[in-house]
Amino acid sequence: MNQEPTTRIHKNAIKAWTVNALLFGLLWFIPAAFYFGIAISHNIGKGTPWYNGIDWILFSSLFLIALIIYIVIAAVLPKLRWQRWKYDVSDKEIDMLRGIIIKKRTLVPINRVQHVDTRQGPVYRKFGLASVTISTAATTHEIPALDNETADELRNTISRLVRKVKSDV
Amino acid sequence: MSEFRKQHPVAGVSQVIETIKQNFVTLIILLFIGTTNSEGYFLYFLAAGLGMSFVGGIFGWWFFRFRIFEDELQIQKGIFVKKKVYLSKDRIQVIDITEGLLQRFFGLVKVEVKTAGGGTETATINAITRSEAEELRTELRKRNNGEQVYEEREAEEQEEVLATWKLSSKDLVYAAFTSGNFGLIASILGAISGQLNEMINEETIEYIYEVMPGYSDVTVYIALILVIIVVSWLLSFLGVIFSYSDFRLQKTSEELIITRGLIERKHVTVPFDRIQAVRFVEGVIRQPFGYGMLYVESAGFDQSQQGRSIVLAPYIAKSDVSSFLKEFAEEYTEPEYETRPSEKALFRYIRRPNYFLILLIPILWYMLTYGWISLLLIPLLSFLGWMRYKDAALGMDGDRILRVRYRTISRTTAIMKRTRIQDAGLSENPFQRRKNLKNLSVTVASGAGGMEFEIKDLVDKKSLEVYRWISDGKKVDFTSEGEEKNKELNS
Repeated sequence: MNQEPTTRIHKNAIKAWTVNALLFGLLWFIPAAFYFGIAISHNIGKGTPWYNGIDWILFSSLFLIALIIYIVIAAVLPKLRWQRWKYDVSDKEIDMLRGIIIKKRTLVPINRVQHVDTRQGPVYRKFGLASVTISTAATTHEIPALDNETADELRNTISRLVRKVKSDV
Repeated sequence: MSEFRKQHPVAGVSQVIETIKQNFVTLIILLFIGTTNSEGYFLYFLAAGLGMSFVGGIFGWWFFRFRIFEDELQIQKGIFVKKKVYLSKDRIQVIDITEGLLQRFFGLVKVEVKTAGGGTETATINAITRSEAEELRTELRKRNNGEQVYEEREAEEQEEVLATWKLSSKDLVYAAFTSGNFGLIASILGAISGQLNEMINEETIEYIYEVMPGYSDVTVYIALILVIIVVSWLLSFLGVIFSYSDFRLQKTSEELIITRGLIERKHVTVPFDRIQAVRFVEGVIRQPFGYGMLYVESAGFDQSQQGRSIVLAPYIAKSDVSSFLKEFAEEYTEPEYETRPSEKALFRYIRRPNYFLILLIPILWYMLTYGWISLLLIPLLSFLGWMRYKDAALGMDGDRILRVRYRTISRTTAIMKRTRIQDAGLSENPFQRRKNLKNLSVTVASGAGGMEFEIKDLVDKKSLEVYRWISDGKKVDFTSEGEEKNKELNS
């Protein structure tokens, strides 16, 4: 049982995360937009051209940084994240492996599980995905982006295993 | 008790005091700003805030009602938003009766009713007379349909005390002396450092020159820091005296009962089956004397508290811990340490605490005249790293007990049952991967949240062994010699 977990999450995860990143990644442009807004508002009613007094170097560096982050989180990270996400559920434990730079592996013994949920946000719904969250008395863990059937099945499997172990004791 | 009752009016005042207590630090900071600002607007704000909380306290008392009705303790409260708390008798686990200072003046007590389980809730009745409290307790312990259950419960209530541990006054004083709380010092330093610039201006420095010639601003800074350290040490000295005076721990067959406190007598009950882990913390000042503080982590009860660490023994010799545990928490044995960080990790340990200096030293160097003195932090923190390396260790006892020892600044030894470990984690960054090292962490429940213990830079095969052990309690040796042995056994 030395092996790392092997089950992958659904491939649509990449698409769903990309969409998510494209939506929320827009937040990175706030500093540039904010600066731009302030800079042009200085020219209102003064008769000066609207671009007067904009520090183009500052603006473009803010914009470029945002753009680079935007592209990285939307185009690169989802794929890597999907490649690294693996999990396994056995009758004794839930084993999860993830992490792009720092590799993290988490083990939750089955009889420590208090409840299991499936969750689905609007983006996940669009791609037919759901995530499974596993709560213990102390912590909550999430297996993201499984297709609906797998997620439901996994939830039922875990809760069945939990009941079985708990009645054994 | 089936009619709704009100508390004693003192409850309103105790609510106000509670508010002040909770916002104590904010208040102090506001006062500080208020007095340094010549205008003193802040003081008006403060007065207004106090006034409001007083009015709130009175209304809170006015709207607070409680009764026992059909197997339930029912509480109604709230000024604008009405809140109803109904606790069923069957679910009530602990009824704590405490005397606060204020309550004591009026011959009153505070009652806390605690339930256990997923949706934990505590009902607090702030001020009622002792006889009312006793009545409430017997009433709650009694089932609706039979006196007999009540008799049994009552018998349980006065259960035989199997063992007692007391903190001697000598040890109390030692505990107070050695309690220097660096976290507190740091937070006070942080709160005040913002004010330093305002306080140390040309005028004050000139004034100090006049009073004490030959002092530079650096000595002023150092003197200030010294004063802060002394004051915070005094505060924590008094804190220990107030909290742990007359400390008494009793053991019955089902629970531990702790009674402590000088002005406010606190009474805490910990059922054995709620204990998640035992933790022995050796503070920097205490460790050389061979003493430390012993805690238990307990789950449930109070949803508002993230962690619930309860002090089992405020000051106890390291050499006495074993016998203490045997008497009060016998399941928590102390297995030998068998796993330590890899030798390859020594330099990593020494480096680790120094990382943040890469940012700090240039800033200090740039900002302060004698900023380069901060370079002295490097050997200090390296020494800390080396100590951390020496102290990190873990051991397992059969399939039952895990003991981990690690140091942040104080050295902590935690003992927990395998079956109480909520999850285990392994993590590695690219540098660790190259050297085959992994960090191992385990989490136990504490209050409504969790407490994590982590050991860094274990040899990865070894960390995997512990990781697997947490799941099934079997020790499988994953090192190369071990794997051969396993093969032999299997064939």
